[in-house]
Amino acid sequence: MRKKYLPIIPVIIAYLVLFLVGKNVSGTWQLVATLLFYCALGQAFNIFMGMTGYVDFGYVAFMGMGTYGMALGITRFVFLQEYGAVIIVIGFLLALLMSTLLSIAVGAVALRLRGAYFAIATIGVNEGFRFLIEGARIWNGSEGIIFMSQLNDILGRDAASALSTFWADVMVLVIAFLAALTTLLFMRSKIGYALTALREDEDAAKVMGINVTKYKIIAFITSACFAGSLGAASWALKTPYVFPPEVFEIHYTIEAIIIVLLGGAGTLLGPVAGGLIYGISKYYLSIFIPGFQLLIFAPIIIVIIVLFPQGVVGMLRDYTKNTVVGRFIV
Amino acid sequence: MSLLQLMGVTKRFGGLVAVNDVSLEIASGQLVGIVGPNGSGKTTLFNVISGVFFPEEGRVFFDGQDITRLPSYKRAPMGIGRTFQIPRPFGSATVRENVAVGAMFGTLGHQLNVNKSLKIADDIIEKVGLADHRNKLAGMLTPVEKKLMEIARALAMKPKLLMMDEAMAGMHPNDIDQMVNFIKKITQEESLAVVAMVEHIMRAVTGMAEKVIVLHQGSKLVDAPTKEALQDERVMEVYFGKSVEAL
Ligand SMILES: Nc1ncnc2c1ncn2[C@@H]1O[C@H](COP(=O)(O)OP(=O)(O)O)[C@@H](O)[C@H]1O
Ligand SMILES: [Mg+2]
Repeated sequence: MRKKYLPIIPVIIAYLVLFLVGKNVSGTWQLVATLLFYCALGQAFNIFMGMTGYVDFGYVAFMGMGTYGMALGITRFVFLQEYGAVIIVIGFLLALLMSTLLSIAVGAVALRLRGAYFAIATIGVNEGFRFLIEGARIWNGSEGIIFMSQLNDILGRDAASALSTFWADVMVLVIAFLAALTTLLFMRSKIGYALTALREDEDAAKVMGINVTKYKIIAFITSACFAGSLGAASWALKTPYVFPPEVFEIHYTIEAIIIVLLGGAGTLLGPVAGGLIYGISKYYLSIFIPGFQLLIFAPIIIVIIVLFPQGVVGMLRDYTKNTVVGRFIV
Repeated sequence: MSLLQLMGVTKRFGGLVAVNDVSLEIASGQLVGIVGPNGSGKTTLFNVISGVFFPEEGRVFFDGQDITRLPSYKRAPMGIGRTFQIPRPFGSATVRENVAVGAMFGTLGHQLNVNKSLKIADDIIEKVGLADHRNKLAGMLTPVEKKLMEIARALAMKPKLLMMDEAMAGMHPNDIDQMVNFIKKITQEESLAVVAMVEHIMRAVTGMAEKVIVLHQGSKLVDAPTKEALQDERVMEVYFGKSVEAL
């Protein structure tokens, strides 16, 4: 492997350890699944927010699209049930297609706006889309889609249950890894250089010959596709139903932002660190002081972000600069 | 045929006319000094040429093409490079990465991959004397180093026209002489037109420019070979007369 791709190693190790712990230490799979979800969420969101510096408050809408994509794949193609898992593949393709289409629509308009204006415009997208689905009764409107029985018909009861309790989480792990790999490939290509330049100074980047809109849209669509797959795997396959208020819930976007900032925006390893820190703290806080976790959580997050504006990995990277370890941390 | 041609260019900000009906021509490989007191429209002129702003009136031609309304990112690959009066480094990237961005998206961008661009960057960084700072974050450089970095970044684009916006302000006189020699040398080597815009540093203008364009309140006052321009009474007045009166 070429030297510049070395930083993928710690990512692989982290996800491998998580997987092995969950698989071999009894009673930990639930927690591991939650952590994998947060890592994947951060990893996917980081490709856009971390690399471009733009904050998309409507990000969860792409996960919603993915969830609907899988739900529609399963309910509309259930007649192909003798082909079994092929329908799941169709579901993923639909999830990708729908999140891509939405990201193109949103990106084409909103990505022409700068910074805060973009952020504000995207808040509207998420809510607007939810009301559109409910109001116009698209995809069964506010009643949502329940597809437990179709899933059982397609895969059989046992396989469907194994899917929702185990394999869906493995898919989340794969999505997290692929998102990390994509991040590194971007970083090492012209795309990454263009994104860094436009994140730092959009006008200067333009004058340097960078078509900033093009690169923002590349990052936006890529990030949206990972969000869509994540929705399809973690929401649709784990819990075979979809209701608009649940999949357009803005607090997932907020969690994604926190994870990216905690770990270090624009870093490769940041979403792993951020996802683990966030997931573990949230898990234990909700056990020990249920109901009050936010009260304690919010100040802790603020303190961490103020102390380490670069995020945990950003700080680590500065510390290990010019050392052997530093070669693995980006 | 001239490399750059402006025809009756006017740029307004609200009621303020920052550039007023300016026409000029710059030939390939020519060293030009654009001078004028603060607020005379030099930076705005550069912004119009590099596509940061579009002019309200007039046309801009580059290499025979009308670029008046061409987006700025399409001008760099044509060969228009510039530095900024207030340096605008990509702060979280290293000097090497900053300069490599120039190569990657400049005139040869389509044929350069990341590795080749980084090699070019190393080469140019060496030439402008920033080799020791190669792996520093660009945001951590001193103001003068940032200006050097920007010159390197613009040179990495292999431009046909390089516009330097007060690139030598704040530099030590010895460094200015060195910089002037360096720029003269690359102009010859690469047949690159350099428009150096220097405000107070006459040393740089006289040492380098073949022709001087003087701007005053947005209008072109003088456009002549350097020697003539410096003897022009109006130039003296713009430079010294007004400020003396103001005292
Ligand atoms: N972006 C802008 N918006 C409004 N006014 C501007 C802007 N840029 C420049 N100006 C005005 O245009 C005039 C020319 O400025 P500038 O081109 O920066 O002059 P110089 O570079 O010669 O000092 C000044 O009066 C300045 O205040
Ligand atoms: Mg200026």
